[in-house]
Amino acid sequence: MSAISIQSVTKRFPNGFEALKGIDAEIKSGSFTVVLGPSGAGKSTLLRLMNGLETPTSGEVRIGGESVDAHKLRHIRSKVAMVFQQFNLVDRLSVVTNVLTGRLAHRSWVGSVFYLFRKEDMEIAQEALARVALTDKAWNRADKLSGGQQQRVGIARALAQQPKVILADEPVASLDPVSSEEIMALLREICDRDGITVVVNLHQVELARRFADRIIGMNSGKIVFDGNPEQMTQSVLRTIYQREGIEDDNSLDMALAYA
Amino acid sequence: MTTVSTWRWPTPSGWPPLPLVGGVLALLCALWLTAPIVEVDFVRLIGSLGKMVGFTGQMFVTPDWNYVPQLLAKMLETIEMTILGTAIAIVLSLPMGILAARNATPHIAVYRLTRDVLSLMRALPELVWALVFVSAVGLGPLPGVMALAFVTVGFMGKFFAEAIEVVDRKAVEGVRAHGAGWLQVRLFAMLPQALPDFVGTVMYILDHNLRAAAILGLVGAGGIGYDLVMSMRLFQYDRLLLIALAIYLVVTLLDRASDRLRSRIIHGKQA
Repeated sequence: MSAISIQSVTKRFPNGFEALKGIDAEIKSGSFTVVLGPSGAGKSTLLRLMNGLETPTSGEVRIGGESVDAHKLRHIRSKVAMVFQQFNLVDRLSVVTNVLTGRLAHRSWVGSVFYLFRKEDMEIAQEALARVALTDKAWNRADKLSGGQQQRVGIARALAQQPKVILADEPVASLDPVSSEEIMALLREICDRDGITVVVNLHQVELARRFADRIIGMNSGKIVFDGNPEQMTQSVLRTIYQREGIEDDNSLDMALAYA
Repeated sequence: MTTVSTWRWPTPSGWPPLPLVGGVLALLCALWLTAPIVEVDFVRLIGSLGKMVGFTGQMFVTPDWNYVPQLLAKMLETIEMTILGTAIAIVLSLPMGILAARNATPHIAVYRLTRDVLSLMRALPELVWALVFVSAVGLGPLPGVMALAFVTVGFMGKFFAEAIEVVDRKAVEGVRAHGAGWLQVRLFAMLPQALPDFVGTVMYILDHNLRAAAILGLVGAGGIGYDLVMSMRLFQYDRLLLIALAIYLVVTLLDRASDRLRSRIIHGKQA
């Protein structure tokens, strides 16, 4: 059974830019998929469609058999967590409160008016923080943490939601290599241990090779490669990263030589 | 000519942008033309310096110490009016601020309507609203508190809305993407980020309201205002001095307290 099903999806923005030109993909439940592609290929748009942060111009996205549409966004989002490049934490709230916002989808507004959470929510949040090894930072303000730590808070927030799917939009693009490695290993471990479907947008080919079950390559709004890491040869990489109108791209070869 | 070639504005032509130059010139012309209408007259201003010094000189008298107990009671009433009026206004302006913020309002029509209501509330000064409320509920501090709260909602609602409009959209998206509801997004993503601005606004408004409350007594709406105006009319400079000092003292203390509170909120507890 596929966790995410994308059926002939296109997306054109109001300014006329066509970000996605017909995407079909099935993503298996419990799998770890990496989406590669140059900037502007439509990776982020694709990911945001799966969470309803964008709506497709045509076609349909289904999560666990349910269509992502405007009327039941909250219901869909309660099953789909998101990790962002810029972490998107509320800087001024404590780490644990940020993690608790992952529980809001499951709670009504009544307690939220007084910033009240249930005891079990607090336990879930503490458990999520323990998973990302930040228990000792629980009561610090989110903006006092380093980038790598903030991203781990972002992952804890996603975990606290107890989702079926975690979407990560370039989660390591703002991080140093060591933190990047940590974050990718964490996502991989969550996928393996909790059986959560993980979809990650990446710029690092080498990380994609090591962590992914499956790699989807995108270029200018289309899927140009779909396979496992072993199938991703040097010529496939050229196809993924080629730029329009440039035949013999020397800088492409240089950039991909050690990827 | 050397200046022209060595000094450049950061524009393509090297000259200041035409709209800016035109705007400043138009403003200066307008000032020059309108000054006589409002009787801004430097000769008269300098001529009256002597009278001003004279008036100030009369303030340096031995204070009327017998007045102190009444002064303290009236100042306390003024401070209570300020705090109560501001507190009521905070409670009312938070929801108004959310409705009047472009990025938080449920509908653009609600946004416009709320903005218009807020403008109406602050269109007239406290003194005028106090007159209205005095005739409605009678003399005393109550109409004063009502007038203060009313005008303050008009200001604070607008300030809160503007603080909400500039919050970081990434954090809002972060909370929204995790399935938080309409109100939850506003409470957990927008309000915490707007908090430092809120506190700044509240501290400024407390300052403003204390000064406003100090004059409301003029129309019988409680506070030190009645004594202030009466001692001025009866040339009781020995009392006037004490009243002015008392107001100054409270405003200064408030300013100190607001500095501390604000830096604490902005930088967190350890600062």
